[in-house]
Amino acid sequence: MNIQDNYQKNRKNIFFSENKDIESHREKLINIFENDSFDRKNNESLKNINLKNFIDFKYKYLIPEETSVINNNQENNYSIVSVNGKCSTFKDDKIEITKILDEDYNDFSENNTIEKNDHFVNLNSLFLNSGFKIVIKRNNNIRIKISNIVTDDDLTIFQKNNIICQEGSSLSLIEEYENKNNSTSNILNVIKLEKNSQLNHFLIQDNSSNHNLIITSHSSCKKDSTYTQKVYNFSEGYVRNFHYSELIETNSEADLQGIFFLKDNNTSNNKTFVKHLAEDCKSNQVYKGILNDRAKATYFSNTHVDQVAQKTEGYQLSKGILLSDNASYFSKPELKIYADDVKCSHGSTIGPIDENAIFYLRSRGMSKIAATKILISSFINEELSSIDNEQMSEIIQKKLVRYLSKVK
Amino acid sequence: MFLEIKDLSVKIENKNILKSLNLNINKGEVHAIMGPNGSGKSTLANVLAGKEDYEILNGKINFKDNDLFDLNIEERAQEGMFLAFQYPVEIPGVNITPFLHSAINSKRKRMNEEEIDNLSFAKLLKSKASDLGINVDMLKRSVNTGFSGGEKKRYEILQMSILNPDLAILDETDSGLDIDALKIVTDGVNKLKTKDNSFLIITHYQKLLDYIKPDYVHVMINGSIVKSGGSEIAAEIEKDGFQKFQ
Repeated sequence: MNIQDNYQKNRKNIFFSENKDIESHREKLINIFENDSFDRKNNESLKNINLKNFIDFKYKYLIPEETSVINNNQENNYSIVSVNGKCSTFKDDKIEITKILDEDYNDFSENNTIEKNDHFVNLNSLFLNSGFKIVIKRNNNIRIKISNIVTDDDLTIFQKNNIICQEGSSLSLIEEYENKNNSTSNILNVIKLEKNSQLNHFLIQDNSSNHNLIITSHSSCKKDSTYTQKVYNFSEGYVRNFHYSELIETNSEADLQGIFFLKDNNTSNNKTFVKHLAEDCKSNQVYKGILNDRAKATYFSNTHVDQVAQKTEGYQLSKGILLSDNASYFSKPELKIYADDVKCSHGSTIGPIDENAIFYLRSRGMSKIAATKILISSFINEELSSIDNEQMSEIIQKKLVRYLSKVK
Repeated sequence: MFLEIKDLSVKIENKNILKSLNLNINKGEVHAIMGPNGSGKSTLANVLAGKEDYEILNGKINFKDNDLFDLNIEERAQEGMFLAFQYPVEIPGVNITPFLHSAINSKRKRMNEEEIDNLSFAKLLKSKASDLGINVDMLKRSVNTGFSGGEKKRYEILQMSILNPDLAILDETDSGLDIDALKIVTDGVNKLKTKDNSFLIITHYQKLLDYIKPDYVHVMINGSIVKSGGSEIAAEIEKDGFQKFQ
């Protein structure tokens, strides 16, 4: 079924289809799909995937029978179970969770930070069927854990979440994606950090091989705010992590980090893009990957420094370990600098595990497999030891042990 | 015979490095191999430790009644062979203490000995480190990472003293050491010497042999041992160089 027919047939289940402006924008998106040549070479959202599988999909969405749960289990600690992308409304003096409204719909097709014609973002805008908005109120320090549950097979979740950290607030947000059904979740997170706010955002991805997860985020940081994102991808299914940050006011920071652990025939596409649009801002983009068997990954990173963004510091690093001759990792770091007083760097290292290090460890009596595992752990040690959230650290360690148990 | 190398020929990337090399070492003996750059000394050390880059063309090596070629790298270490590396490898993120703890226990397991617990190991490590003038803070760091040349060599000897090998191969352990560090390292080696263990010391210079007295000195030229004798050979080399042996 083509996009137009698929949309028209399911229109009544899709958010904001009564809104004329949004409908007119969606028509434009449909036109893009109908006229795009899907040039894989020049469109990073198309690398390593067969887009046809994602465009010719059978739309299916179920309004969950089980309602989502929000618990304020300890002071300033909230846990949320989001079901099929939906979350109940909730309000207290510190946070507010509501449905997304027409006004929260963004036109990202014209946004020049997000890649033009990112088809997954366009599909999300077109078939939007779930999502919620979280506001952290001024000067509050909050911890939230969200478990994202998909209830049935063959569901197509198009979810959009808005997260707003008001002035002076601080949020530690853990999001878990652990689904075992044959479904696709296409999620767009739009994150706004007001003045002097902070968001530490952890994403743990551990889906089974038949679950596709496509996550795109767009964060914007105002004066003195910091957005930190740490992605841990242990999924056996396809995962796309595309994360865009705009530093729009002075002294703001974006730190986008990710580690992926791939095996079998799994594929993961990753991208980070930081746009420096003000003076004295800092960014860091670090992705590390461990690939076994016939796994494939891409990582595109990009630092764009606008001409007004003097005294920028922007760093990029990509590292990969290939545990098999048949695994592949394509990495492409880019810098575009239009200001003259900046400190920027980028680097990429991909290769097999260091044979000299293996020999050294084995020469002390350690088996080859133990030496390999210890070197994999050491490869990501810096990232793991910097997790200052004990709960997160325990979760990641357990998943790492599980991944390592399959390394032969 | 403790270690018996018979007619050993080895090549790497189409280049013959060791040529019909013979060497016997008995329990309790200290042997030194001296030779110019490129004579094959480090190749011999690596082949003994089991490095897999080399092709064995001919020969046999027996170690403690085992055919050495039947043992892989870790089995050789567990059987009591230890190589102190010329260039110890930096391994960021691997902490020294659990690494060494795991190493000693893998050896004990093979020997059917009881594993050493955390507390006893920490005590052992601390006392051995103190003997070698190694600061306790260094034990919190990653393996060889950010160490000076001298620290790396001292740390190799610390590992050796913890693992207490039957045969220790010291591959140019003196290189890059100042005189004080050389004294500390060689004192550490001398403390380990017993009638039950043996040492194979690879060096360019006599200086090291002033501190560790060898029972035998061998001159290695172009992949073969061309002369063997006592410590007078080291003095001869110090005086006249390797030219006369070539």
